[in-house]
Amino acid sequence: MLFALDFFIRRIAQGLVLVVLVAMLIFTLLRIVPGDPVRMMLGAMVSASVAEQTAKDMGLRDPIPVQFGRYAAQILTGDFGSSFVRSAQGGSTGGSRGSSTFDAANRASVSGLITASLPYSVLLAGLAFLFALASALPIGIAAGLRSGRWPDRLALYVASVLVSLPNVWLALVLIFLVSAKAGWLPAIGYQGPSYAILPAIVLAIELAPTLIRSISVSVSGSLVEPYVSQGEIRGLSRGRMIVAHVLRNSSIPVLNVLGIQAIGVLLGGLFVVEYVFNYPGVGLLMINAVFQRDFPVIQAIAILSCATLVLVNILVDFAAMAIDRRLQY
Amino acid sequence: MISPVNILDVRNLTVSLDLGSRGTRAVLTHVDLSIDENEVLGIIGESGSGKTVLSRALVRWVTSPLKIESGVIAYRGNDLLRLPRTQMQALRGRKIAYIGSDPGNALDPTLPVGRQIVEKLRSIEPGISNGEAERRVIRLLDAVKMPGAKQRFEEFPFHFSGGMMQRALIVDALVTNPDLLVADNITQPLDVTVAAQILRLLRELQRDFKTAILFVSSSFVVVNEIAHRVLVLAGGRVVETQNVQQLLAAPQHAYTRQLIADIPRIWQSSTEVVADEPSPAAKDVILSVRNVRRVYPTRDRNKLFANQFVHAVRDASFDVRRGDNLAIVGESGCGKSTLSRLLSRLEVPDSGQILFMGEDIAPMKAKRLLTLRRKFQLLLQDPFSSIPPHLSIGRTIAEPLYIHGGMSRSEIRDRVAATMQEVGLSLDLFGKLPVGLSAGQRQRVSIARALVLDPELLILDETLSALDQVEQRKLLALFQRLQDQRGMTYIYISHDLGMVRQACNRIAVMYLGRVVELADNRTTFIKPRHHYTRALLSAVPAVEERPFKAETYLLEGEPPNPIHISAGCSFRSRCPFALDKCAFDDPPLVARGRDESAACHLTEIDPHHP
Amino acid sequence: MAARGRGIAASIFAAAWRTNEFKIGFALLCLLIILSVLGPYILDLSPTQFNVSKKFLPPALLDHSSWPYLFGTDQIGRDLFTRSLIGLRNALLIGITSVVGMFILGSAIGMISGYFGGWVGLLLMRITDAQMSIPAIILAITILGVSRPTPLAIILVLILAGWPAYSRVARSVTLSERRKEYVRAIKILGASDARVLLVHIAPNILPPIAFVAILDIARMMIFEAVLGFIGIGIQPPTPTFGTIIADGTKYILNAWWITTVPGLLLAITLGCINIMGGALERSRNKILLGFG
Repeated sequence: MLFALDFFIRRIAQGLVLVVLVAMLIFTLLRIVPGDPVRMMLGAMVSASVAEQTAKDMGLRDPIPVQFGRYAAQILTGDFGSSFVRSAQGGSTGGSRGSSTFDAANRASVSGLITASLPYSVLLAGLAFLFALASALPIGIAAGLRSGRWPDRLALYVASVLVSLPNVWLALVLIFLVSAKAGWLPAIGYQGPSYAILPAIVLAIELAPTLIRSISVSVSGSLVEPYVSQGEIRGLSRGRMIVAHVLRNSSIPVLNVLGIQAIGVLLGGLFVVEYVFNYPGVGLLMINAVFQRDFPVIQAIAILSCATLVLVNILVDFAAMAIDRRLQY
Repeated sequence: MISPVNILDVRNLTVSLDLGSRGTRAVLTHVDLSIDENEVLGIIGESGSGKTVLSRALVRWVTSPLKIESGVIAYRGNDLLRLPRTQMQALRGRKIAYIGSDPGNALDPTLPVGRQIVEKLRSIEPGISNGEAERRVIRLLDAVKMPGAKQRFEEFPFHFSGGMMQRALIVDALVTNPDLLVADNITQPLDVTVAAQILRLLRELQRDFKTAILFVSSSFVVVNEIAHRVLVLAGGRVVETQNVQQLLAAPQHAYTRQLIADIPRIWQSSTEVVADEPSPAAKDVILSVRNVRRVYPTRDRNKLFANQFVHAVRDASFDVRRGDNLAIVGESGCGKSTLSRLLSRLEVPDSGQILFMGEDIAPMKAKRLLTLRRKFQLLLQDPFSSIPPHLSIGRTIAEPLYIHGGMSRSEIRDRVAATMQEVGLSLDLFGKLPVGLSAGQRQRVSIARALVLDPELLILDETLSALDQVEQRKLLALFQRLQDQRGMTYIYISHDLGMVRQACNRIAVMYLGRVVELADNRTTFIKPRHHYTRALLSAVPAVEERPFKAETYLLEGEPPNPIHISAGCSFRSRCPFALDKCAFDDPPLVARGRDESAACHLTEIDPHHP
Repeated sequence: MAARGRGIAASIFAAAWRTNEFKIGFALLCLLIILSVLGPYILDLSPTQFNVSKKFLPPALLDHSSWPYLFGTDQIGRDLFTRSLIGLRNALLIGITSVVGMFILGSAIGMISGYFGGWVGLLLMRITDAQMSIPAIILAITILGVSRPTPLAIILVLILAGWPAYSRVARSVTLSERRKEYVRAIKILGASDARVLLVHIAPNILPPIAFVAILDIARMMIFEAVLGFIGIGIQPPTPTFGTIIADGTKYILNAWWITTVPGLLLAITLGCINIMGGALERSRNKILLGFG
């Protein structure tokens, strides 16, 4: 009990520092690389003085630390700011549509935009994770238990093939074959949960190889530990040793991989896949925001994904320590 | 007279090792043995004799590349080798139990020890309830004298020391009341007193449970403590089988004769050794350790952000004179490994001084230290990890010359070659990787590497512990030769009292971070003052009559925790003769005679205390 | 006095070489590399020259009338085969350079962190964790999406995205080697820290993660293609897989080969690399960890 408290206090404190650091990094990067957001907002036709005035009003000409301080204070009250580009009604404004469409007072709230698109992303990610696990677990465990024989080689080939398919290319090929030609599944946009299936398959194909590899390595590694053969000598059946001991022990490295690599791949893949499928999740929001120089949205999503990763890491580490007490020392 | 029931009857067992393209090698050839009910059969052999393969074959644990070529292993008449798998599995654990020499890795490290024993019990006796199984296991844990059995039931394997884990594994083996227990080298990794306790425990349990035991060991003296009959294995063949006493008195085979003759005799007068001459006080002191203290902080798990302190070394003091062979002996937790790190300046003491030829090495700056490092060197225990696996032998030995610089390549090559010859390494090994080398050869490489700088003091930290008897003797002879030729001084850090008796002229005994006795060889072994020394001597496996009987002196339990050191004498809790005074007054190390010191109140009161 | 005989890394490589998978992958990969470097010159077709009259020709592999356009042509008549080969060349260059860079950077940071410990080690670990908390794509589109992406910038972004994995492995190798007795012995002999790190610990880092580096080459090539697809990779007119695939998206219903066939070439190349990496991983498991 005390250990859990100690652990969470330390790790959450460290995590907060991490998230703040990343936020500062992204914040600063956005403001020092060339490309003026005000130009994007108001369009290329607007005069320089109007542009400057708007920028000053929005606080974009202040020194970066000052801007960050303001931003941080804002976040503490839960306000992630307002989009530079999107209006409250949802349409994009400014830019090529001309400065007249830009209405400074009526910009969409970033938190609102995110909460609207988050459920879709969660659905997609959850489905992808499910598909990936459902395929990787049986293959990986079989490969680990029979290392050196055909299940192991099969796992190697399957994993190698899957990981060689670039996700954008695969997405397009699947859209072409499964959706356009065969019509089995819908592809672009979202009009019901079935629209999430094809993108989830693409994401799952991206995730599965890492999982297969890590599961099979972990299982075969645990299988050769001395206590496994000792257990059989002591009188326990092989089946029991595998189920009650080997699988348990091999779950720890897999948890680590799940937490660090899998979530990372998932987050990264999410952005690209949503973009290709025009799936209205957080990823699409983010990519559009980048093209439109919509700083508040970029910052908010970056912070959010970083925080998610940190949180998942903490949970994974805690789970690992609960399974293997040695890690607590 | 009822003839004893024969439990195990092995006939003509032959096992070979498949080396693939290089053919096969015989590991066991035509081995015959038999064990009766309630009998203890000892099997002795040196490393490579095949004894582990034999003990594992008896539980049918022979996996490729090992193969059983022929033979019968009859358990109560049934040939184990021809039993179907399920029946064999039914026998394992239930009727035939096995304990190996690696207690730390025998159980799943992520589950509590007690629960795993219950798991085994319930899988062998499915009818038993969880509660009943737990009670039985805890009862047995008490019977093997595990303190706090109920708490330890829930603890994890890494909480257990080697000795405690072996006790738990003994419980695991005996919980189903098997007919036969195969004990493969179970005391080898343990401290002397702990091993003695385990042997005593095993003897008692054997009497109570009437289990037959097959006790495998590489040391005859250990087998002597417990076995009724003994079988000598050499090169995969049975050389001789006899009753233990008879074997000792009249060995038949030449191999056995040599084996018996080679056993180090500690107390017989014929073993007065060269090292016994008293070192003249006039010789200069090369190393002086004064009141050295070293403490390690670790996280206190019972409080939120506090630390606990491990007192690894508290107030160690002794002098080493030129030409001495000083031994530092003690068991786990006594601080000798920390001391060796301090002496080799890998770490700095928290207080106190370490004077090498008059200069304190603790506050020394890097440059001066480097120069001084040419003069004293350290050799470590594990021959397999103390030389880097990715460099050739010549390069490894030359490393110190590269570090200290100042020699041309050809000079370095010559010096390395000369040193290799001096320690008995063939020059062909110069360009080879250490991959195929034996333990003895690897230690020679380490020795050569240390010698190449012409040191004056050599610290040997358990350097000979990983080697078998024959290799040890050869290396001790080498050390003697080097001492005669180069005038070296040695410090031996060891737990092997037999070796120390032969090789060292002065001995420092450590307990819980302090030197509790410091005396010359004869005094230490014949008339030691401190009771811990006597306890050590009572636990050393020996074939002779001991001056200090186990009944009086052998300790119970394990050394206390170096974190919570109580006031007064740290040995008081286990001393059979403790006085009231010992509870609050910590005796200092005081001279008791010419050149001897001991830290004990009892010697003050009565210098001739028996 | 260099070590003769096989080191550990060499024996892992040799064991992998013995497998069929490795040999096939390696042979095919060599073929593709040679093709990508020399191909355009041999075929004498230009990747950028467009010929509007020849647009939308299907691959010659399927419809012989399109010869010599093996992969067909795109929407302005450019030959897709040479474009793919050039794209492959760029992708390999970027992939290999970035992996070498992240290996060196990651190993250096990991070794220092593991060896010196203390607050330096902790700080470096936290930086590694921080870096890992930023999904690579976010870093990439933040840096490249708002400025002009040059090949150097792309390589730098890839290095930044990938070094933490190497740093973690280097750190754990350093931690376990540091405790070994031979390191202790050498320090007692007077070796400096730099010496211990470079001569003794560093050679032990490569064997466990050589296969990760190979697999990462493939991973980085995919990443580069993704960046190109989104539009923040190497800019046109230089052909890259990403831009070719992106361009072809509009015509997928009529001229499906523009998107699919170049991607297939990339996938096959990656397949070779991944099979080699997989074989290396299994031989590493067998030799260093004792199973497989």
